Amino acid sequence: MASVTVSSPAARRRRVNEYAPTAILFLAPTVILLLVFVAWPILESLRLSFTHWTGLGKSQTYVGLSNWARLLQDGVFWQALGNNLVIAGLSIAVQLPVALGLAVLLDRGGRRLRLFKLAYFMPLLVSSVAIGFLFKYIYDPNFGLLNAVLNSVGLKALAKSWLGDPALALYAVLAVICWQFIPFYMLVFQAALAAIPSELHDAATIDGASDNQFFWRITLPMLRGTIRTSAVLSLIGSLRYFDLIYVLTGGGPSGSTELMATYMYKQAFASFNFGYGSTVAVALILMVLVISGLVLLLTRRFQTEV
Amino acid sequence: MKGKVFAVLVAVSALGLIGSGALAQQKKEIVFWNIQSTEPGLSLIKKEVDRFMAANPDVNVQVVPIQNDAYKTKIKVAMGAGEGPCVFPTWGGGPLYEYVKANQIIDLTPMLNQGNYKNRFLPASFSAITFSNKIYGVPVENVAISVFYYNKELFAKYNLKEPTTIDELTSVAKTLKANGITPFALANKTKWTGSMYFMYLVDRLGGAKAFVAAATRAPGGSFQNPVFVQAGKILQDWVKAGYFNEGFNGLDYDSGQSRALLYSGKAAMELMGNWSSSIIPSENPDFAKKVGIFPFPALRAGAGAQNVVGTVGDNYYSISSTCKYPKEAFEMIKYLIDDQAVAERIEADRIPPVKGVTPKNPDLKNIVKLVSEAPGTQLWYDQYLPPELGEAHKDTVQALMGLTMTPEQAAKVMEDTAKRVYGK
Repeated sequence: MASVTVSSPAARRRRVNEYAPTAILFLAPTVILLLVFVAWPILESLRLSFTHWTGLGKSQTYVGLSNWARLLQDGVFWQALGNNLVIAGLSIAVQLPVALGLAVLLDRGGRRLRLFKLAYFMPLLVSSVAIGFLFKYIYDPNFGLLNAVLNSVGLKALAKSWLGDPALALYAVLAVICWQFIPFYMLVFQAALAAIPSELHDAATIDGASDNQFFWRITLPMLRGTIRTSAVLSLIGSLRYFDLIYVLTGGGPSGSTELMATYMYKQAFASFNFGYGSTVAVALILMVLVISGLVLLLTRRFQTEV
Repeated sequence: MKGKVFAVLVAVSALGLIGSGALAQQKKEIVFWNIQSTEPGLSLIKKEVDRFMAANPDVNVQVVPIQNDAYKTKIKVAMGAGEGPCVFPTWGGGPLYEYVKANQIIDLTPMLNQGNYKNRFLPASFSAITFSNKIYGVPVENVAISVFYYNKELFAKYNLKEPTTIDELTSVAKTLKANGITPFALANKTKWTGSMYFMYLVDRLGGAKAFVAAATRAPGGSFQNPVFVQAGKILQDWVKAGYFNEGFNGLDYDSGQSRALLYSGKAAMELMGNWSSSIIPSENPDFAKKVGIFPFPALRAGAGAQNVVGTVGDNYYSISSTCKYPKEAFEMIKYLIDDQAVAERIEADRIPPVKGVTPKNPDLKNIVKLVSEAPGTQLWYDQYLPPELGEAHKDTVQALMGLTMTPEQAAKVMEDTAKRVYGK
């Protein structure tokens, strides 16, 4: 907000009246889109979660809470939630520090590292499906790049069937997810770093602070708000994650990479259980709300007033 | 200023309305979705539809080819919203029955009976699309059963013969494995690929009865029948012996990851649908020269002709109940499988599901012989069963082969799911 000059209530009211039609006109498309494509489908999913519906035709039978009762006992759903939490936890633990490190590095390097900036940014420009296909071939145990490299440097013992082993598949996919999203957080941190006034750096240097001290005592505290926002973004993204898993493993083998979103898709579209699929969808929304709400609450003190 | 903008907006939208209205009224519009998105299917469909439109100038057919997996989602959303295409393909069986129950497609029996048109097709082709004596589709695209494709060169090198019993198959696998060759190439992220082994083992151990009794909930029928457990055990023994390539559960059939093993000579056999006969020559002409086929072996020597697993006639084309011109749509489908179309399909290494077809490809000739001599054809489980149970079948077989589930557990999951789906 650049200039706030009007102060008398009457004048303010007059201004509101004057701008109201324009404001409504400009807001209407967004509000309508949100209502039609976000709010209504969520409410509709909630309604469908109490029905049995194949997704075809008009016969929706209300079955009360039976879908929800089934969900509570559904081992696959809870395994999927567990997988989501593993992805969320490790995403935050891996993506944010690496992204921050890269951002600081690029920030200090300045123009000399422009080429690296571009290179690190690349994965973000590739579509998830393309990335999925790329890594499907890289991970191929017989012809894939990864095992070929491992074999050629004498690490044959480490060459595994990455996507075929239920104990490894989730981590193999996670590595790709990190590769895909680190650039995004790197970009966010770069912007935040650029916003730290250079006077602070000058002042610290005059006071004799080393680069390390500057990072831990000044940069990091100044980035608290950004880190918190990034962590929440990463958390929500991880809880609703779908695309790369769908392309790489389809939730397999044996459900080891099943996520809430892929399970919802399978129930609704492959098993013709639109009712139960909606139950999974609503549960997903609830989980996202509860978990991200908790995280926001617990990290309230890191909030910055920007 | 505001008024001007508004006037322009109104004018533009009015123009749009006039434009679309005028176009729609000219001709009878038939929207035809199919999954023939690659050659030769693409041009086969186009040729026949063009002939139909030339003969029926008052009809305009809009052909929409969609890639296989994307289609499965797309058709569900469209039909669920009541905006499905006029003509669309299915694989018959359980999923098709969902459309029947929801009154989404029309009964084609009267049209098929007219002038005995129905008699043109192989009788077995209708079993997957007949519910309560009503037929809901027209078999068009292909006869597809699964057989072993194998590398003749490798078999010759190790002095192996086409196995005729399961014991012989096991010993062939043992020899290959001892020589560092993977016996069976498998890409099982796709799940229906591994299911083929399971279905054949169940059939060989328990005949057609065991599965049908369990799937139709006949008295005494159960997915916990020892036959299913035994089939699971054999499959796990093969996995433990290393007869399948490493990491098969993470490989994707659609991306060609199992065929790469076959082509490179790292693996010797693949149990696969006979669509391979048209895929292999186009992907790898050199390998096509040394590939042979043999049917899934019998349990014991001298057991005679065996059942085959697969489908006779899919894709089937059905007509949705929202279609405004079902008569014209049916006429169009007829063009897809009339005499000229059949000749063209044979030329393209397809096996049209009509009587008296002789493919030119010797492997496909063999397939036709197998199908005609088989006492029965077992439709793929995931197409025969209601969708939810079909998915459970594929999931449990993948888990079985990944050794993360015992055969007994898999059988129990199947039976529990069946009870929930059928309510008995």
